[in-house]
Amino acid sequence: MTRSPWRGAAVAVVAVVTLLPMVPVVLWAVAGAWRYPDLLPPETSLRGLRLLAGDGVLGALGTSVLVSTSVALLACLVGLPAGRALGLHRFRGRRLVQFLLLAPIIVPPLAVTLGLQVFFVRYGLADTVGGVVLVQLVPTVPYAASLLAAAHADLDTDHERAARVLGAGPVRTLLHVSLPLLRPALVTAFLLTFLISWSEYVLTLLVGGGRVTTLPLLLFSAIESSDRTAAAALGLLVVLPPVLLVLALTRVAGRDVAWVGVSRA
Amino acid sequence: MTRPARAIAATAALTATALLATACGGGQEEAVAVDTSDWDAVLAQAEGQSVDWYMYGGDQRLNDFVNGEVADRLAELGVTLNQVKITDTAEAVNKVLGEQQAGRTSGGSVDAIWVNGENFATGVQADLWACGWTADLPNARYVDLDDPAVATDFGVPVQGCEAAWQQASSALVYDSAVLDEADVESVESLLEWAATDPGRFTHPAPPDFTGSMAVRTFLYDTLGADAVTAAAEGGGLADEDYEQARDETFARLLDASDDFWRGGETYPVSQEEVEKLYADGEISAFLTYGPGAVGSLVEDGVFPESTRTTVLSVGNISNVSFVGVPANAEDRAGAMVLADVLQDPEVQLGLYEATGIFPVVDLDTVDPALAERFAAVDAGPSVLSPEELTADALPELDSATLARIEDDWRAQVLRGTG
Amino acid sequence: MSRVRATTWRPGPRLRVVLLLTPALLVVGVFVVGGVLQAVLQSLGFAPVVGESQWTLDAYRRVVTDPVVHDSLLLTARVSVISTALAAVLGTALALLVRRLGGRRRLAALFHGTLAVPHLVGALAIGLLLSPSGLLSRAAYRLGLVDSVQDVPALTQDAFGWGIIAEYTWKETPFVAVVALAALSRRVSDLEDVASTLGATRWQRLREVTLPVLAPPVAAASVLVLAFVTASYEVPRLLGRPYPATLSVEAFQRYRDIDLTSRPEAMALAVVIALLTTLAALAYLRLVGGLTRRSL
Repeated sequence: MTRSPWRGAAVAVVAVVTLLPMVPVVLWAVAGAWRYPDLLPPETSLRGLRLLAGDGVLGALGTSVLVSTSVALLACLVGLPAGRALGLHRFRGRRLVQFLLLAPIIVPPLAVTLGLQVFFVRYGLADTVGGVVLVQLVPTVPYAASLLAAAHADLDTDHERAARVLGAGPVRTLLHVSLPLLRPALVTAFLLTFLISWSEYVLTLLVGGGRVTTLPLLLFSAIESSDRTAAAALGLLVVLPPVLLVLALTRVAGRDVAWVGVSRA
Repeated sequence: MTRPARAIAATAALTATALLATACGGGQEEAVAVDTSDWDAVLAQAEGQSVDWYMYGGDQRLNDFVNGEVADRLAELGVTLNQVKITDTAEAVNKVLGEQQAGRTSGGSVDAIWVNGENFATGVQADLWACGWTADLPNARYVDLDDPAVATDFGVPVQGCEAAWQQASSALVYDSAVLDEADVESVESLLEWAATDPGRFTHPAPPDFTGSMAVRTFLYDTLGADAVTAAAEGGGLADEDYEQARDETFARLLDASDDFWRGGETYPVSQEEVEKLYADGEISAFLTYGPGAVGSLVEDGVFPESTRTTVLSVGNISNVSFVGVPANAEDRAGAMVLADVLQDPEVQLGLYEATGIFPVVDLDTVDPALAERFAAVDAGPSVLSPEELTADALPELDSATLARIEDDWRAQVLRGTG
Repeated sequence: MSRVRATTWRPGPRLRVVLLLTPALLVVGVFVVGGVLQAVLQSLGFAPVVGESQWTLDAYRRVVTDPVVHDSLLLTARVSVISTALAAVLGTALALLVRRLGGRRRLAALFHGTLAVPHLVGALAIGLLLSPSGLLSRAAYRLGLVDSVQDVPALTQDAFGWGIIAEYTWKETPFVAVVALAALSRRVSDLEDVASTLGATRWQRLREVTLPVLAPPVAAASVLVLAFVTASYEVPRLLGRPYPATLSVEAFQRYRDIDLTSRPEAMALAVVIALLTTLAALAYLRLVGGLTRRSL
């Protein structure tokens, strides 16, 4: 591929435009008083970053990690068998099942949750981490199932058959043969569903009722408050894990569905 | 019907049936009563409880005070305070209403709400609140429960359904480098200034609490202080009087708002946004319910040093806000202990010092040494003293009128120009 | 050991499929199908758990005649169509550009990184960049383009919705680009080479070979963007105006209104949103000939 100066310039323009919106976030996170029309903060301050070590933020960080890990685990647990059925078996109604599993990508989870909220309240799931985890399965299970269906479709089932012939039971076959073969897809599905859950705001707000405080909830109220430094610092805390995860994900997966999922996060 | 369609219909029907079937099961017992006449018993009951206090969470200083001094005082009594920050008090009331609708008569998730005005009135209509307990609070002796500002809440008798804990007083905050004293004399002079220096005044759109006050300030200016006082004492405005005043006010506002921020074409969603605009120098004047906090914002360099507060000639809108406890609340005893702690004169002083929020305790009844410390609090040169501020205090109209002016403003001013 | 296993009961293939699918279908069935059904029922006056159900179309009547909803629908349609179109065109162009440029891997990593930015952070970033006191406005002031913050045109909380569109476009363009780049495999280059050997001009190559290959995945990606953008809540809530608000914001606000009689209206709006996104999905099905043939 030839390189010419204008191509370098084009790359630079694309890179700058893509990165530009994050620039003020980084600046505000370390800014002291920064009044209009100063282009750059006249003084830096560690106040924003220090806020991140506060009790509220650490608590929310813990809740976020707990919720997202549980959601990712459950979504993979639910998605794995479904992916197996879809990837390995041809059966009547397969297309319908596929369509149903994709429904949450099309029908907005917000619309769905508004209808269900009264039941969450009635059964004591509202305001609980459990309720939030449950509702977040809606936007995550479809991706776990699609990813794992694709992985199963590519799976060489000869290994499983060989293991069974050699006398391994179904559990041993699953643990020692199938899962290792599916590992890359499982890792991708886990990271992806973790990410979607990590970014979720409105479902957490609705079902968590302000009592299950994840980082996005804190960030939202920080953006609404008049403290831009606090909002920017929190924004950095919220954005770093997913970006790092995805850059890691780039190495283990190249599937379209992963990118669709990431962009929905 | 095609096969897939039939299958979908069948699944849907099954799901609905399952949901309905489970929905009908299981009633719930009533919440355990709290007998407030025996305060020691309340304290005993409260010990070990965790109180979820739903409150507007946009004021950082207030949040710090609540999670610091208030939480500490409660911890000494064995009560854990969990502040649940919300942006609009209606959210909390809506939540309790939703629980009520879903049949949760006990174990409710909202233990206490910082409430007043129409949110309180809605709760009264829905029979939402635990009532008749506020006079039993030991610290209630420092609060003048017969004062109309405490005994009624925007025209609705309080009847022991909520305990007072703070006073909000409106004021105008302005940059004296941009406006001079003549400009902030009255609503009229403020609007005239806006016409000469357009784009530098705005207020949040109701139902924001402060936005609602701003619109009322204009309405009261049209009505005049005497008419407002008469209406507040006589149980509200007659329909035709209201409509006439509203039409006059909105005509004035629609005319003047061309010179507001963004040409009056839109309004900020919240008071925080208004304060950001002021801090950025986009606007130079705004109305506030928290004039006491301006001093520290100037000190921190967020607001310019030339910031001043004043009261427009129409007078200052002042109201008391309360802590309400839902009847289905899980930790009602703890919530009542919270209400009592908030009325403690020491806590009230701490609140005033930390946030500039005015106390509800009657300073004539507290320890004279403490009263002196109240008087000694220096809020800085930007801020008026409470006496100056509330010299022309106006009463609040009933909450029905309040809701009406908010709705009408949204329909006629916000949508009319949007 | 194997003999013991061999005698244990094993479900037949059909039952096995059913068992494997049960957890996932339960999630989708109870939450999605059940949720939509509940939204429909509650919009028609069904009061679940307790209370008297009164079947009525009132909520729809109120929603359909409400000028607030008309403006909201207009804004929602404008914002989602423009954002989707911009993301599709820019994303495709970017993919083609990146393919021709060096440094493809680094740019791809950049896009992947942008994909991972939560929309909430995107809204914060766009706000800090485009608002009248934002970074761009400060730069314009420094360059002498504006004399005061008053002169800066409103790009957030603006009447048109540019701030919201900017956020969606910024976030979704890399998504379309990544999908398009994945489609521009080596095989496409081979086809293009064949075409040029056959004497096709650059423009012909693009029109006859490259774009037809890109059309299905880009269309698919676009409809997913459209469905998402139509129903998203936090971006229009943070970058939009109090009035008009998008349908999702309007639905959420009515749900949380202190007047519980607004809830059926919220449900009716939720149903309208679900219908809109489903229509978008049907367009998707038509455009790409079925969801099932691809991995997604």
